[in-house]
Amino acid sequence: MKNIKMMALIGILGIGTISGQIARVDQEVYGMDCAPCAYGLERGLKKMDGLQEVRVSLNDGKAYLGLAEKNDLTLRSIQEEVKKNGFSARKAEVVLMGNATKEDGQWYIETDNERFAVSQNTSIELVQKLAVGRTTLSGTVQDEDDDNLSDQWEIILSKIE
Amino acid sequence: MICRIFLNIRYVKLILLLAISGSVMAQGHGPLYGLQTPTLAKGGVDLNVAGMSLGTETETSYMLRYLFSYGITEDLQVNLTTPTMIERLGETPRTRGNSNMPANGDIEASLWYRFFSNAFGVGKRFESTAVVGVSAPTDNVRGQVNVGNAIHAAISTGYASRTWYAWIGGGYQYYFERDDERLGDLPYASAVVGYRPNIFMGDYPKPDWRIFIESLAEFPGGNKIDGQLDFSDTRSTKVLVGPSFLGLYGAWGISFGAMVPVVQDLTPGSVKERYRIAVNLSYWL
Repeated sequence: MKNIKMMALIGILGIGTISGQIARVDQEVYGMDCAPCAYGLERGLKKMDGLQEVRVSLNDGKAYLGLAEKNDLTLRSIQEEVKKNGFSARKAEVVLMGNATKEDGQWYIETDNERFAVSQNTSIELVQKLAVGRTTLSGTVQDEDDDNLSDQWEIILSKIE
Repeated sequence: MICRIFLNIRYVKLILLLAISGSVMAQGHGPLYGLQTPTLAKGGVDLNVAGMSLGTETETSYMLRYLFSYGITEDLQVNLTTPTMIERLGETPRTRGNSNMPANGDIEASLWYRFFSNAFGVGKRFESTAVVGVSAPTDNVRGQVNVGNAIHAAISTGYASRTWYAWIGGGYQYYFERDDERLGDLPYASAVVGYRPNIFMGDYPKPDWRIFIESLAEFPGGNKIDGQLDFSDTRSTKVLVGPSFLGLYGAWGISFGAMVPVVQDLTPGSVKERYRIAVNLSYWL
């Protein structure tokens, strides 16, 4: 009983200390045509700290990534790994836990290392659901030039938890 | 251990006769003989072992080749290939073989630079790659001509998708003089079309097979013998065509194929070819 209480306490404290991060990424990959290509990408991604689950599909042209409960991974580092394997990282469907902020009428979702500007293409209903503070949401991060990746992204929201 | 097995000549010949390798390109992703474009991932390593056989009207050569490739960046790859000659030809037809693995007994180091790449869809990309290399022979005389070091340059461009593949390319090899003799230069060109049927469209990590129809045209120039150029104004013309197959599974790849000459317009004294066969085993570290 004592152990259970301790675990619950650790769990609560743990949740309390989770900061903004990415929870899931379905990364679109262009140019990947063969099994060794998929193998190389899968192997490269698996070497990254913070990835719990990696699956690469040639037919979908996607890398399906489940991130650890606590991780420092950035979308930029994931897309750089794709580029390092000779492919082009395009749009990414993500699940984010972050802080929603509003500046000059523009909504942003901030994780520890990256900032996602909420796209004007997001439905008005979803935008109206946004509130300043912690939030968990899903969306599609728009494609950026592989050679000029930064920690700034644009996201079209699809769901707010 | 694998090398020891392969060094058993009888075993090697058996494998070759069962239709495995020629003058091969053992990049692993693509065709066996023709120039191609893919380069390794940054930090990627690819090891290849190939068996090759080339048949003339009177002789047959057998050779094993090892190729080590390393991706310096995703667009720049360095390669080193060395041969184990099982049986050399006395009279050697002039051939380059392909971009990564010479069909003769040369040790070769090369750089591949993919200078253009446009991935424009799922599994689809256009890309172009330049190749430069230097080689040193393991034999002193080839076709009764002293053989020296050589330089090689090539360029290829192509399209890859999940279903169709196509590459075209051309290259040039120049041999330096050795003891007042020099092998003739060798311009060549290749064209490859590949197809993967629906039945082999299983998603990774299922096995992945494709078939290629490859063609190779070579135009060897005259040799310089005892300081004198032979047939300085004429070149031989050879065109070879044949199928090859590539199977990929995880980190492993196997390809095998054959080519036969459809055109052999040779200068006097040149050796006629009958076939080339090759097999290549790849492993990506």
